[in-house]
Amino acid sequence: MSDIVEKTLTALPGLFLQNQSVGGPAGVKASFSSRLGGLVRGITALTSKHEEEKLIQQELSSLKATVSAPTTTLKMMKECMVRLIYCEMLGYDASFGYIHAIKLAQQGNLLEKRVGYLAVSLFLHENHELLLLLVNTVVKDLQSTNLVEVCMALTIVSQIFPREMIPAVLPLIEDKLQHSKEIIRRKAVLALYKFYLIAPNQVQHIHIKFRKALCDRDVGVMAASLHIYFRMIKENSSGYKDLTGSFVTILKQVVGGKLPVDFNYHSVPAPWLQIQLLRILGLLGKDDQRTSELMYDVLDESLRRAELNHNVTYAILFECVHTVYSIYPKSELLEKAAKCIGKFVLSPKINLKYLGLKALTYVIQQDPTLALQHQMTIIECLDHPDPIIKRETLELLYRITNAQNVIVIVQKMLEYLHQSKEEYIIVNLVGKIAELAEKYAPDNAWFIQTMNAVFSVGGDVMHPDIPNNFMRLLAEGFDDETEDQQLRLYAVQSYLTLLDVENVFYPQKFLQVMSWVDASLSF
Amino acid sequence: MQFMLLFSRQGKLRLQKWYVPLSDKEKKKITRELVQTVLARKPKMCSFLEWRDLKIVYKRYASLYFCCAIEDQDNELITLEIIHRYVELLDKYFGSVCELDIIFNFEKAYFILDEFLLGGEVQETSKKNVLKAIEQADLLQEKTETMYHSRSFIGCKKAY
Repeated sequence: MSDIVEKTLTALPGLFLQNQSVGGPAGVKASFSSRLGGLVRGITALTSKHEEEKLIQQELSSLKATVSAPTTTLKMMKECMVRLIYCEMLGYDASFGYIHAIKLAQQGNLLEKRVGYLAVSLFLHENHELLLLLVNTVVKDLQSTNLVEVCMALTIVSQIFPREMIPAVLPLIEDKLQHSKEIIRRKAVLALYKFYLIAPNQVQHIHIKFRKALCDRDVGVMAASLHIYFRMIKENSSGYKDLTGSFVTILKQVVGGKLPVDFNYHSVPAPWLQIQLLRILGLLGKDDQRTSELMYDVLDESLRRAELNHNVTYAILFECVHTVYSIYPKSELLEKAAKCIGKFVLSPKINLKYLGLKALTYVIQQDPTLALQHQMTIIECLDHPDPIIKRETLELLYRITNAQNVIVIVQKMLEYLHQSKEEYIIVNLVGKIAELAEKYAPDNAWFIQTMNAVFSVGGDVMHPDIPNNFMRLLAEGFDDETEDQQLRLYAVQSYLTLLDVENVFYPQKFLQVMSWVDASLSF
Repeated sequence: MQFMLLFSRQGKLRLQKWYVPLSDKEKKKITRELVQTVLARKPKMCSFLEWRDLKIVYKRYASLYFCCAIEDQDNELITLEIIHRYVELLDKYFGSVCELDIIFNFEKAYFILDEFLLGGEVQETSKKNVLKAIEQADLLQEKTETMYHSRSFIGCKKAY
């Protein structure tokens, strides 16, 4: 059988099904005979991008006709919408369907409405002009007696909503904060969180209601309010110091296992909640001894409790350590946290090693001895097969560079630079090397050589400040006149040699530097 | 969280949820480059990447890659657990989930994701509650549909 025939035969079921109607109640799994199923199988059977394009364009034109046809039922519209989402996911434009998504959310019954809202959340963005049309539907659904519809409305508001229309729905959502069902209160808090993110001044007047949410009898609602508090405290921690006691109490209860067993994740009580609280406490205790003192106990307890061997306990430990180092220092806690970091760095599990290095980078300013303790491991990590570990190690080393170890560290950085292809990394690393070279260069020759290496690798992408600073340095020189002459002489000589080499390609900025140096400094 | 992507080992996108406003062009570019970067990682490497100015956490479950981009201050390990929790939810809902379930029922996968991660933030809800919310809507839908079909069946009978 020829290829073409085979492909046509595979695509046929999809084409046939477009003429049948899909009946039966919506089951948990869509049957393979659904139109989406046909489309997906049609795509999978094709081998080239060109054929995929053809099939999708075909599908899109048929969908375009169906969605605009007056005889299309809402049920069919829902099916079309799913296929439209699929096409957009593959990268094709289906913007003719956006308005119909909104209509589906407006007119459809439950599952149709749900698909309509989903399509809107995936198709549109915050500033889309069609988004305003959604507001009426949302308002209507927020007032519905059907709680599932209310939930859907709150869900869409938490994801995407036009900022100018917040006043239209704000009172309705505030109202939901007192609803008897936990899920509605929780979603209302999250909708308000979204409003806080996009228009903080519009929710200024209801901060008192957030406090009520924080003290809600249901854990879910309280946890949702923490998202808002985290942001507010980040912006202005002094305004919320009085809540420290409450946060500490909540964390104590969570760590002590006082929450319903439902919230356990692999026998760890509410890990996301713990982490959120730890972050909040870290912000509140920063540079504030009195507030920090309130939390020492619970932090100690958290460090102790997280002894299980599960990823999630490591996550909590990591956050704990971070908090301990952010707040006003307490030596016993710092010691325990340092031990934790040590365990991470020495762990054979690569994810933990990475986090250990990251933690070291964070604490290095406060406790340089910690890095010394683990320097063997750090050096091993330099040659680790995983480039991410290597990069993290270099990041760490950058922070502990001094005049003694600069040569080795810069050499390792240059090695990494040579094998790196990502522009972002190159720019970043080049900047660091230049900085270190300038600060700690042991002698002129090394300095020039290093800068040459930096220019030849990073030349085209690096920040223009780097070559400018370099040229300025050479021009102005340091204090010692003889030293300066030697430096310039060495620079000129090295460039003349480099320019002599045949068949070699230098980045433009490097050539500029070389020409400038040779022209202005040679005698 | 900034976004979550699910893609197959061949790089085909199965689900995409963006929690930050980006143009379509940027989304496509990010998706393409990120998918390539993640697929190039070897199995023993760590699950975290620093890519451009983002932190990426990824994990492979059978033939599907789950990939999240998080902010600088976010905890990478807990993000791995977010991914794991999502997989657990999918597993419970579909009953031993596999990639095909997600391909053919991606809208259900989205519904579950939205119940669990609203606006990019985890709703600390028990697994039970998340699935209950989805199933409630499903059941209500089934009830409505059954009524609708029994009526239309009668309607059909009348027509013929």
